[in-house]
Amino acid sequence: MTIDSLREYLAVLEAHDDLSRIDEAVSWNLEASAITMLANERDARIPLFERTEAARLVGDPYRGSGSRPWNRIALGLDLPRDLSRYEFYEAVIDRLQDPIPPTSVEAADAPVKERTVTGADVDLLRFPWPYIHAGDGGRYSNLHTLVAPDPDSEWVDWSYHRAMVHDGGTASVLLLAGEQTPNLYYYKYERRGEPMPVAIVVGAEPAVEYTSVMWIPTDRSEAEFAGGLKGEPIELVECETNDLRVPANAELVIEGEILPDARRDEGPFGDYFGYMHGPRRSMPVLEVSAITHREDPIIPFCVEGSGVGYAENSTSSMEAGCVGPDATLGLRTAGFDVECCVPWTSTPRTVYVIATDRSEPGYLHELANFIFTTWGMLHVDFFVFVDADVEPTDSRAVVEALALHADPDADFHQFGVETMPKVPLNIYQTPSEKGDIQTGTSKAKTAKTYIDATRSEPAPDRSPELERRARETLRAAGVELDVEDALLGGRPPREEPTGGWRR
Amino acid sequence: MSGFGLRSHLDRLRERGDLVAIDDRVHWDEEAAAIATVAAREGAPALAFEQTPGHVRFVAGAFGGPDQLAAHDREPWDRIGDALTAGEDLATVPPTHEYGDLLELLAGERTEPATAADGEPAATPDPTLDLHTLGLPTLSANTRPIVSLGILAVDLGPEYGTTWVPVRGGVRGSSRLRLVVPRAFRERLAAATEDAGSGGGGVKNGRERGGIDGGPPTDPPAVSLLLGVSAPALVAALQGWIGDRVRTDVPELAAGIAPTATARVDGRLVPRDAEVRIDGTLRMEAPGGREPTVTGSTPDPASTTTTTEERRAAWEAACETATVVLGVDRIATREDPVVAVSPLGAPLSDDTQLVSLVEAARLYRRVNGYWGVSPVRWVRLPPEGGLGMCLVASEILYAGFEWQLANTLFSFSRLFDKVLIVDEGSDPTDLAKALDDMWVKAHPANDWAFSEPHAPSATATRYRRDGETGSRLHIAATWDPRWDEEYIAPRVTFEQSFPENVRESVAERWDEFDLERE
Repeated sequence: MTIDSLREYLAVLEAHDDLSRIDEAVSWNLEASAITMLANERDARIPLFERTEAARLVGDPYRGSGSRPWNRIALGLDLPRDLSRYEFYEAVIDRLQDPIPPTSVEAADAPVKERTVTGADVDLLRFPWPYIHAGDGGRYSNLHTLVAPDPDSEWVDWSYHRAMVHDGGTASVLLLAGEQTPNLYYYKYERRGEPMPVAIVVGAEPAVEYTSVMWIPTDRSEAEFAGGLKGEPIELVECETNDLRVPANAELVIEGEILPDARRDEGPFGDYFGYMHGPRRSMPVLEVSAITHREDPIIPFCVEGSGVGYAENSTSSMEAGCVGPDATLGLRTAGFDVECCVPWTSTPRTVYVIATDRSEPGYLHELANFIFTTWGMLHVDFFVFVDADVEPTDSRAVVEALALHADPDADFHQFGVETMPKVPLNIYQTPSEKGDIQTGTSKAKTAKTYIDATRSEPAPDRSPELERRARETLRAAGVELDVEDALLGGRPPREEPTGGWRR
Repeated sequence: MSGFGLRSHLDRLRERGDLVAIDDRVHWDEEAAAIATVAAREGAPALAFEQTPGHVRFVAGAFGGPDQLAAHDREPWDRIGDALTAGEDLATVPPTHEYGDLLELLAGERTEPATAADGEPAATPDPTLDLHTLGLPTLSANTRPIVSLGILAVDLGPEYGTTWVPVRGGVRGSSRLRLVVPRAFRERLAAATEDAGSGGGGVKNGRERGGIDGGPPTDPPAVSLLLGVSAPALVAALQGWIGDRVRTDVPELAAGIAPTATARVDGRLVPRDAEVRIDGTLRMEAPGGREPTVTGSTPDPASTTTTTEERRAAWEAACETATVVLGVDRIATREDPVVAVSPLGAPLSDDTQLVSLVEAARLYRRVNGYWGVSPVRWVRLPPEGGLGMCLVASEILYAGFEWQLANTLFSFSRLFDKVLIVDEGSDPTDLAKALDDMWVKAHPANDWAFSEPHAPSATATRYRRDGETGSRLHIAATWDPRWDEEYIAPRVTFEQSFPENVRESVAERWDEFDLERE
């Protein structure tokens, strides 16, 4: 069975006793997010708020558990939720290597067209966009897919950029230059004085949501990768007011244009770093031309900042469950023999851990250089390299490697001190260093670092048979050993990449 | 006085559901250690090995705790906290311990008189036993049984009286143990023995001194090796002998932590409730020099993650060490003795957990007495980092104070070469967020500060073992004191992100939402 919609996904959660329907009236004004944040911190069921105004809300539907951040991502792909990290990553990587083209459906057959509002009747404020943290600059849609086309080709990018609602017809969209869609906007549409047609797809089916947070290569069809992930074609339907096609099974679609040379305030916002990010800054303006939606739509949202520390939220879980396998595949495709690339468990985007063997001198430098100049250049400040037999999702093991094997004198490599780009969402720069009217990169440059926490000595010699018997004995005594099992499980040999490590 | 020993601690762990009985038959030869290693690494409860072939039963993880980077109901220091309060009424002891309370307790280094021994030792001599029949565990196959969580009781003469010393040892034959001890202890012992040989014996400070049977000091000196002792005795032994200042009044330090029942054996004080006592004489060198005395001033190549039988205990990285040989004269045990053991070298092992707390408390006391003010809120050497890393939460008194603070810590401890400084309001129970700040709050260039490369090597780490110097690193994940207040970003927390009325409403209605699982 494939999961064709957010609703089907939520039904699967409910079948697994993973979802609670909240029938009491709950306000979009901080209350829904407060409940969601507590649920995230307590690893509780996913809250579906049935009685908010005009639409339903669901808080952090893709949030996984602390030891298995990918477990609900797996459910969305119709994979068992008890897969080990290894099994899950390899399953996602397999699917990503087998893209499936989308199909088209007529509007009459598209659930997202059950209600269509265009022109003067458009009113964003009819929907319960949540006010997520006290101190936020406004109400946000922040768990959606932004669909935007390249003006010079057939390529359409799906990406993940939050939008702050200003009034019934406009929102400001966080576009940070250096990412694919913002680059199209700033360096093509705006320079030509043209509006960028966009669609914000809210409550898309899981495979679409997952694809939009992955770093799908430029010029490649995101819809095809989503189809590959799902195992069936994604059904697309044409927008009402532009030529874009959007997932037909979504809950709600906001159509419109991002205008050239127009800015509105955006933020502050309690961001994925776990801090309120400021200052309020200017961001491009979305002018809404149409809203289509299902009957009684469900709007998902993420309580950003709650996925730091011991709790998960949709963003941190999708980093681990979507970006991790995607990055692992990307590095292998580039010729690097990496065992696994994962975000640091409690820090969704700033630091990644890569388990790999050092195959020759300069290898780690080249690997870090590749990443910092491509997909990791804006958000990722640090890479920690550990040996291939260290489980990179096990923070305990990585901290041990960092503390005991990374020599401050030889293993900390700062790239380009004060020469490298950075998104302005960080909290280590002053507002003036971040800039308040820039396109989305900080005014001040930063440094990037990779840390070689691989051993300089042979690996410990542990007897697998003794270890297996020890685990059996502990289990027989009633000791739960879910942590390591969750991470590793069976670990069959991986097919060696071809082409060597040089790009 | 009774009820403060290891047994009462284990009873408490059992009551809390934090002790699991291993009823399967487990051999002491590598199998028990392998099980203890997995349990420590995975944050399992303490384990009581009920069926082992030897005379003693083991318990592993008695002073351990879970990985603080994973979600658990208990903190890594809770079992130690329980052990240090084992004599108190359970109803008065909270289910989890405040880290700050433990730091204060140990940093105080309070002493109480320990000279009033109150009864006979609980262990009685058993002439049928030898070191092999005890059945102590080995760490790997075909290696020697080890002593991992024991103390040595020695009389240092009239000036110092009885002291308790941390040891790590290996069984050599049926009546001989090779023990690693702090080098400072061996030097004190040598001086005391020399003093006794020159007629300096007698009674001083109200303490009798003597060898076997209470006679005059012996040469080689008479000692007792105690296994299955309470946490205050273990902790006090570490407090006395590791670090940069030696204290010999260890029984008094132990009594200052918690009431500690003591008894006298041949004139020296021993913890009365010790499960196993091995009496004998100590030699600096074996006959013929076949057991050469060695020192451990540099990191041991046979370090804690290798599989050799010489895996060192965590405390050995905190001080210089020497080797002595214990010739065994008699072995005494309690009925059905139980001995705490540590899977040396395993992540989160008991010995690492104990040293983590003791060293953190020592540093906390020292840095807070250093500048005339007390800016430091807490210090942690997370066991997850194998003691190669130190975290400190402090008020930043002035620009550049981070540098002073980090380098003061480097000066006071030889274990680590990485210090992470977090804001004074950081929660010591939230290691994940503290490390998160390392990645997101510290500027990758400006706040990661490396020293020039002439610093001594850290002793807990696995690199630069040949005595070479290198750099140290401190990371200032604190708000820059030069920043305006408006630049300071509030944390996203339930308390800070929602007004009180929303929090109260959610709390009142939480159960109705039916979000929690059973």
